[in-house]
Amino acid sequence: MTAHVFDTMGTTVSIRVAGSPPAESVLRAAEETFARFDRRFSLYRADSELSRIARGELALPRSSSILRDTYAAALEWSNRTGGAFTPHRPDGVLDLSGIVKADAIEAAGRILDLAGVPAWVLNAGGDILVRGTIDDSSSRIGIVDPDDRESLLCTVQLAGTRRALATSGSAERGEHIWRAPAPRSADHGFRQVSVVADDIVTADVLATAILAGGPDRLNDVLDGFDVDALTVDDRGGITASPGFRAAAGLLLA
Amino acid sequence: MRARAVVLGLLSSTAVLAVGWQLGAQGQQTQTAVAGTDASAASPSTVSGEAAAASPTATPTPAATSTPAATPTPTPTAASAAPAAPAASGVSGTFTGTAARTRYGDVQVEITVQNGSITDVTALQLTDQDSRSVSISNRAAPVLRQEVLSAQSANVKNVSGATYTTDGYLTSLQSALDQAGL
Repeated sequence: MTAHVFDTMGTTVSIRVAGSPPAESVLRAAEETFARFDRRFSLYRADSELSRIARGELALPRSSSILRDTYAAALEWSNRTGGAFTPHRPDGVLDLSGIVKADAIEAAGRILDLAGVPAWVLNAGGDILVRGTIDDSSSRIGIVDPDDRESLLCTVQLAGTRRALATSGSAERGEHIWRAPAPRSADHGFRQVSVVADDIVTADVLATAILAGGPDRLNDVLDGFDVDALTVDDRGGITASPGFRAAAGLLLA
Repeated sequence: MRARAVVLGLLSSTAVLAVGWQLGAQGQQTQTAVAGTDASAASPSTVSGEAAAASPTATPTPAATSTPAATPTPTPTAASAAPAAPAASGVSGTFTGTAARTRYGDVQVEITVQNGSITDVTALQLTDQDSRSVSISNRAAPVLRQEVLSAQSANVKNVSGATYTTDGYLTSLQSALDQAGL
């Protein structure tokens, strides 16, 4: 088994498959899927559709239906997370990066499925979606220690319907999460949040929402959604939901 | 003098009432005016049970709210939890949402829509007290730091952390794992 690695969306993607590598055309189609999302949604590209909206050159009603659908989905997530996840930057600019990478992972996964690849692991910048089981160590995912990128906090097994794991944090791409205003002084903000879910969009959005919303939002998310979470606060304290503890074999403090 | 004033006062208010009654008899529009004139106790008709009040919990209320303001498409993008949302006027019928997990258990909501507005909201399925305690126990609890650090020797091929940049990848654990051809 080999990893197919490529750069896209400002990060690096690794694809692993069971058995012999898929046809070159399949890998190219998966790469092109990420590239297509990036060309349309990246605010780092002056010529993207979203950049044109941000500059006021393109009115939302005239934008593509996929952009409007993505915006609508992001607003839906904003409603469902009490605004902790938001598609709007503080300056009002529409920024869909919180949902687009997960959409791209989902779409690339469909390409592997359509090509008949029986088992695969897609890792886009640490957001991971698996299909089937290549082998035990491939569906076991390490969670990076935010205080030491060289080491792992723990490992978690993705199995059954639990196909997706996403981690949000401020460690590596700067403060790209907008935190809820004025967290209570008793609460420690989160440095890193990992969420396990059945699909990658849910995992990614909720990891962002918990990171932005803090401990209060964590409990709301665990109450309201079928997900598991591992958090690291800014003092190094770690919490895990029961499902995460079971999947990672952790003991209570 | 005082008695006369009282009598006049009574007469005049009776006159207002009488006029009111007559107006009221004439047409429905003026009936609201009468209610305003003679007493607030008149009409409890505004209390007709509207949708929002009936909703059992805040979280699972389906659709309707989800229509994005700035988006011009009238189709309200029925994403995962939302049933076909009745935003456009003229829609009538009964819509059932998908079951939503809340801290009170699984809740499924049914809405009745007439001419595009919600006329009734019903919670179809409420789980019992036992499910509630299960749900609450899903909360996160502190974990021993020593426990997590015992994971170092783990055999993995993928790691998850805060999103790395393309440059950051080069020095990342994931890069090492990928280059090792694992």
